[in-house]
Amino acid sequence: MEVIFLFIVIILSVASFIGVFSRSAILTKLVNALSALGSLTIAYAGIMGLKESVELNITLLHLKSDSIINAFSTLTLKVDPLSGFFMIILGILGFCTSVYGIAYLDMYKGDKRLYAFNYPLFLLFMFLVLVSWNLLWFVVFWELMTLFSQFLVAFERNEKTLIATLKYFCMTKAAADFMLIAIVLVLITISGGGDYDILSSQLVNYFRSHPLEMYLVSAGFMIGLGVKAALVPFHVWLPDAYVEAPSNVSSLLSGAMEKMPVYMMFRFFLSFTPLTPNIGLLIALFGTLTLFFGTMYALKQTDSKRLLSYHSVGQIGYVVFALGAGIYLLSKGYTTFGALALMASLFHALNHAFFKGLLFLTAGSILYRTGSRDLDHLGGLARFMPITAFAALIGSLSIAGMPPFNGFVSKWMIYVSTLPTPTLVSLFGALALFISAVTTASFVKYFTSIFVRPPAKEITVKEVPVSMWASQLILAVLCVIFGVYPALPLEAISKAVDSVGVTTPSITVFPGLIVSDGIGNIAPLALLVFSGALTAVLLAIFPYKISLPVWTTGTRKSLAMRLPASSYYASFEEEFEDVYSWGEWCVCTTKRLWDATKAVLSSFEEASFDLDKMMTGAWLMLLILLTILGGVLL
Amino acid sequence: MNAVYAALNLIFIVLFAPLLDGIERKVKARLQSRQGPPLIQTWLDLLKLFRRPNVRPRESVRWLFEPAPAIALVSVLAASLFIPSLLPGSLDTWGDIIAFIYLSTLSAVAIALGAFSTGSAYAQIGSHREVSIIMAEEFSLAFIVAALAASSGGLSFSRLFPLQLKVSTITGALAFAVMAYVAGARIPFDVAEAEPEIVEGPFIEFSGKGLGMLKLSIYVKRLLLTTILLNFFLPQDGTVRVLVYVIGLVIISVVYASIEAHYGRFRTKDAARFLKRFAIVGILSWILGVVGW
Repeated sequence: MEVIFLFIVIILSVASFIGVFSRSAILTKLVNALSALGSLTIAYAGIMGLKESVELNITLLHLKSDSIINAFSTLTLKVDPLSGFFMIILGILGFCTSVYGIAYLDMYKGDKRLYAFNYPLFLLFMFLVLVSWNLLWFVVFWELMTLFSQFLVAFERNEKTLIATLKYFCMTKAAADFMLIAIVLVLITISGGGDYDILSSQLVNYFRSHPLEMYLVSAGFMIGLGVKAALVPFHVWLPDAYVEAPSNVSSLLSGAMEKMPVYMMFRFFLSFTPLTPNIGLLIALFGTLTLFFGTMYALKQTDSKRLLSYHSVGQIGYVVFALGAGIYLLSKGYTTFGALALMASLFHALNHAFFKGLLFLTAGSILYRTGSRDLDHLGGLARFMPITAFAALIGSLSIAGMPPFNGFVSKWMIYVSTLPTPTLVSLFGALALFISAVTTASFVKYFTSIFVRPPAKEITVKEVPVSMWASQLILAVLCVIFGVYPALPLEAISKAVDSVGVTTPSITVFPGLIVSDGIGNIAPLALLVFSGALTAVLLAIFPYKISLPVWTTGTRKSLAMRLPASSYYASFEEEFEDVYSWGEWCVCTTKRLWDATKAVLSSFEEASFDLDKMMTGAWLMLLILLTILGGVLL
Repeated sequence: MNAVYAALNLIFIVLFAPLLDGIERKVKARLQSRQGPPLIQTWLDLLKLFRRPNVRPRESVRWLFEPAPAIALVSVLAASLFIPSLLPGSLDTWGDIIAFIYLSTLSAVAIALGAFSTGSAYAQIGSHREVSIIMAEEFSLAFIVAALAASSGGLSFSRLFPLQLKVSTITGALAFAVMAYVAGARIPFDVAEAEPEIVEGPFIEFSGKGLGMLKLSIYVKRLLLTTILLNFFLPQDGTVRVLVYVIGLVIISVVYASIEAHYGRFRTKDAARFLKRFAIVGILSWILGVVGW
C-alpha cells in the first residue's frame, strides 16, 4: 500500500512538473494521460481501503515540546472504508475527466501551462485531503486544494473568470478560517494532537459534558464545510466558478471536490461529536433549503453550465439533507431509518459524482463543437452528435431520478428513510420529493433545448473525438449499472457507514431493494427486464416504415416555431414567484449588510487618521486579545 | 402464484381501462344532453388506431420518437404489476408508491421527449405545459404521500393497503382522490392535451399504433390511480373484493366524469395555482398524522 501511495504522489507531481514546461500541445496531453493514470491508482487504493485500513506514518520533524506545532511533526496517512469510498468517487471521476481533457484542451488556443501545472496538483491534494489522518494536516491540504482549484477556475484569464475566481477565493478562504478557528478550539480543548483516533476517543466524551463548546465548534465546521459544499446561503460563489472553469474541471469540481466537505461532515458529525438531535435537524434544514432554492433557481437558467451548477447546489442539498436526517433519526432512536438515511446520503454523493460529472462533460462537448452555452441559441444537435446526446439523455434521466437509473435508487432511499418517520424530517422529505419533479422538468429543458428542439440558426457540427465521447460513455454505463445493480455500491457504502460507528440495517439488496416490515421496496432490475423486453416486443411488432414532413397547419413553409429556453415553464415559475421574490429579498438583505459593513470599515479608516483614537482603539484590542488568551490558557 | 395474479391483473387492466373510458364518455354525453357513443366506442377507436401504420415525422430524432409511445405505455404497465387490482395478489416487492410516482413521471417524460423531438410547435407547447403541470402536481402529491407514509409508517403497498382508519389517513386519501383526478389529465387539468387549443399537444405527430399506445397509456394510468384510491379502503382478500373493486371503479369513474362534464379548461397558470393551494390539505393531513390522529 505504501508503494501505491508513493506512486500516486510521484506520478501526479511529475505530471505537474511536466505541466510547467508544457508549451506544446503534446505535453498537455501527456499531463492529462498521467493524471488519468494517477486517478485510476487512487480508485484502486480506495478499493483496497474498503477491504482493510492501511496506516502510514511519516515523521517530518523531531520535536520534543508539547506545542501545537508538534501536531505537524508527523504526517499520518490512512485509508479507512469511509475515505476509501470517497477515493473511489475521486478516482473514477478523475480518470474520466482526465481522459476527456486530452482532446478537450485543444479547444483553448493560448498558453495552457496554468491548466497543466495545476490540474494534477488539484487531484493530488484532493487525494491527500481524503487520506490525511490528522485534522491540522487536513486543513493544510484543504487550503492547497482550494488554491490549485482556483487557479484552474482562472484558466481563461479574462475579466469574468478573474471575478469568479476572486469571489471563489474570498468566500472559501473566509470559510476555511471559520473551520480553522473551530479546529484550533478543538485542539486547545483536548490538546492531544489532531489525530483522528484521539479525536474520536476523547472529543465525544468532552463534548458530552460541554454542550456549548460542541455547538460552537459544530457551527464553525458547518460554516467552513458548508461554503465549500455550497449550501444555501453560502452558494453564491459556485455558479460563477463552475461556469468559468474548463468543462472537465467543472465536472471534477462538482463531482469530486464538492464531496470533500461531505466526507468531513461524515467524520466530524458522526465520529467526533456525540449524536445530537438539534445538530442533525439543523443540518437537515440546511440541506432542505439548499435543495429547494438551488433547484428552483436552476429551473430559470438559460446557460447550460450555469443550469448544471445550480443543480450541483440542489443535489448536494439532497446529500446533506440525508446526512442531517440520519444524524437526527439516529439520535432520536430510529436506528433503521437513521442508518438508511446515512447510506442514502453516501449513495447519492456517489451517484451525483457520476451523473453530474457526465452532464458537465456533455455541456463541455457542446461547447467544444459549437462554442456556445446558450440554451436559447442551441438546438437540434442530436442528429449530429448522437453519442453525446445519448450520454446526456442517460445523465438527465439519472439526475431526474427516473427508473432504472442510479438517481432513482438513491432518491428512493432518501424518501424511504425520511417520509415514514413521524418527525419533521418527513416534511423535508416531502419537499425533496417535490424538488425531484422540478429537477426532472429542468432536465427535460436541458436535454430538449440542446439536442432536439429546432435551432434558431442551423448548426452543423461533428461528433466529438473518441477520447471525449468514450469518457462520457463510461460514466453513462456506470449510471445504469449502479441503478440496476445497487448491491455493488451499497456493499461499499455499508462498510463506510460501519467504519464511522453506525450499524447498518439489514436490508435486502438483491434482486430488489427491500426495507423490511413494509417500509419500502423496489426492484429496478426486474422493472428494467420487464419494461425492456415489452418495449422491444412492441417496437418489433409495430415498426415505423413511413416518414412524412411535420404537419405545418397546411401551409408550405415550416412553422419554424421554437420555444425559447427562457420561456419553458413560465406559468409555473409565475405561480411559484414567491420563492424567487423571497430569494431576491435575501440577496438584497445580504447586499445591505455588506454595504453597512463597508460603511463601518470606512468610518474606522477615517478614525484611524486621528492618532488618539487609533491608539485608544489599539489598546482596547490588545486588552481584549489578552483577556481571551488568558481565558484560554486558564 | 403472485406472478400469475399479476399477469391476470395486467390483462384485466388493459382490457378494462378503455371500457371505463367508454362509460365516462357516455356519462359525460348524457350530462350534456347528448346521446353519446356506445360503451365499447373507446375500444373500437383503439382497434382502428392499431390497424393503421405508424408515421414518423421526417424532422424528428428517430431514437427518441419511435420508442416514446412504447415506453410511455410499458412504464405504466410495469406499475400495474405491483399494484393489486382485480385479484389481491401482485408482485408487491417490485415497487412501492414512490416507484409508482416515478414510473408515471417516466411515462410523461417519454411522451414529452418524443414530442419535443418532432420540432412541431404544438408539441413543444403541449409538452412544456405537461411538465409544468407535473411539477405543480408533485407539490401537492408530495405532502399527501408524506402524510400517508408518516401515519402508516411505511411506503410500500403492503403497509398502505388498506389504511388504518385515522383522521389523517382519511383526509390524506381524500386529497389523493383529488390528485388522482388531476393526474388523470381530465378537464379542467388537461392543459397539455387541450384539443381545441393546441390540437392534442404532445400527441400531435403520433399516429396509428403509436397514438393507440399513448391513448391506452392514459387510460391505464387513470385506472391505476383509481385502483390505488380504492385499495386504500378495500380489504386485501376475500371474494367480496372483486365485486366491490369493479363496482367501485365504475362509481368513481362516473363521479369523475360528471365533474369533468361541468368544467371548462383551466389556463396552465390557474391549474398550477389550484395545485399550489391544494398542498395545504396535504400539509394539514401530515400534521394530523405526525401528532398521531
